[in-house]
Amino acid sequence: MPVEISFEFREKLHTIIEGNLLSFCYQCGACVGDCPTARFDPTFNPRHIMLEALYGLEKRLICEDSPVWKCANCYTCYERCPQHMKPVEVIIALKNLLANEGLAPAGVVPHTDRSKTTGRSVLVTSATERIRAELGLPPLPQLPVDELTEILKP
Amino acid sequence: MTSPEAAETAAPQTTKKTKSRKEAVKVAFFRGCLIPVKYPQMEVAVRHTLPKLGIEPVDVPGFTCCPDPIYFKATDKESWLTMAARNLCEAEERGLDIFTVCSGCTATLSETSHLLAENEELRARVNKRLARVGKNYKGTTKVRHIVTLIRDLVDPAVISESVRRPLTDLRVAIHYGCHLLKPSPIMNVDDPDNPYMMERLVRATGATPIRHKEWILCCGKAIAKSELKQKPMETVLCSVKEVNADVLCVICPSCFGEFDFGQIKASKRLERDVTTPAIYYFQLLAIAQGMSADDVGLSRHRVKPERLIELYGDPL
Repeated sequence: MPVEISFEFREKLHTIIEGNLLSFCYQCGACVGDCPTARFDPTFNPRHIMLEALYGLEKRLICEDSPVWKCANCYTCYERCPQHMKPVEVIIALKNLLANEGLAPAGVVPHTDRSKTTGRSVLVTSATERIRAELGLPPLPQLPVDELTEILKP
Repeated sequence: MTSPEAAETAAPQTTKKTKSRKEAVKVAFFRGCLIPVKYPQMEVAVRHTLPKLGIEPVDVPGFTCCPDPIYFKATDKESWLTMAARNLCEAEERGLDIFTVCSGCTATLSETSHLLAENEELRARVNKRLARVGKNYKGTTKVRHIVTLIRDLVDPAVISESVRRPLTDLRVAIHYGCHLLKPSPIMNVDDPDNPYMMERLVRATGATPIRHKEWILCCGKAIAKSELKQKPMETVLCSVKEVNADVLCVICPSCFGEFDFGQIKASKRLERDVTTPAIYYFQLLAIAQGMSADDVGLSRHRVKPERLIELYGDPL
C-alpha cells in the first residue's frame, strides 16, 4: 500500500521550537532500547512516534489519549540519538500542538497557568509562611507577576 | 559496571577550589518553587551548609518559577523559554552566576541558556518579548545545579572538614534522577550512565553510599498515565529495598516528593513494605555538620528516617 505523506502537518510541527528536528530522524531505533516507558509499556515506541510524525499522520498523534503523554521526559532518547535530533523535544513539540487543541490531560494546562499568573508552580497557603517562620526562614518575596503578564503575551 | 571508587578516580579534577580561597563565592540562589513552598526544611539545610563550604547564597527577589520543564514546557515552549530567560536576566543584571537546588529548575535554565546561545534568531524573538519590561538577555550568566557548583568550586576535603560528626553507621542508597545528568551535552555534569558525584558527596559525610541495580532508572513522575507511571517508581523502590539502606538520598525536591509519598502508595499496592526514607542530600550534610533532625525538618517527612534520627538526630 502506498504511503501518503502529509507535509502540512510537518509544517505545523515546524512552527514549534525544535519541532523541525524531526526531519533528521533516520529511524535507527536507538531511542527505544533504554526508554523507561517502552520498558514498562511495549506499545510505546519513540521511533514509531517519529515515523508517524514524519508521515504526517496527524490523527494518530493529535487526538484524545495521544501516546505522547506516556513519555517520561527523562531525556534518555536525546542522549542516545546518533542524529542529535532530540526525540523528546519533538514529543514536547507534539504536546504543544495537543495543548493548543485542548487535548492535554487534566491538570497540565492549569499547572502552567498557575506559574504564569502567580509566578509559582505551587500554591502558597497560610501554613507556608508559618512553617517558614518556624524554621527561621525569611518570608517569601512578592513576585513580579505584572512583568510575567507582559512578556507572556504572544 | 565500574565500581564507585574507580569512577571517582577517573573523575575530572577541576581547579579553583575553595580550599585556597579566602572570601566566600557569591552565587545567586535560585530556589525554585517546591523547596521554598513545600519543603522549606531543604532551604534551611542549603542556607546552613553552603557557607561552611565557602559559598554565599545570594537571594534575588525577582526570580519566579523557572518554569517547570514538564507541564509548562509541554503546554507552551515559547513562553517557557521567555519566562526562563527573564530569570536569567535577573542574575545577569547583578553580575552573578546562578545555582539551582532542583533538577527541574536546572534543566529549564540550562537548556534555555544553551538554546539562546546557539540560536540567534530565537534569542532575538525572546529578547523582543523581554524588551517590553526593559530586559535584554545577553548570555553571560552560568547556570549550575548545587551539586555541580560544589564539584567545580569546593575541594572534597573541605566538605569532610566541615563535618563535625561523621555519619559512619549510615547506609545511603542514591537516586540521581534524570534532569541532573541528561542531556549530558547541555548539563555537562557527569556521565549519565555511570555517575559518581553523589557517591563522592555522600562519602564526604562519613556515610556509606550504596548502589542498587535500578540506580539510574527514571522515577516516572512525568508520565501522564497513572497506571503506567507507577511501574518505574515501584521498580526503583523494590531495587532500593533489596540493598537494605537506611535512607534514600536524592538531590531534587521533585524526586523527593515522588518518593516520600509514592512509597507509601506503592507499599499499599504491592502489599509489602517497599519504603526507604527519602532525604535531600543537604539535610544529610547539615546533620553531619551538627544540626539536629528537628533543625532540618525531618519530622515533616511522611516516611521518617528513624535510624538516622536515632543515631545522629540530636543537636550537637
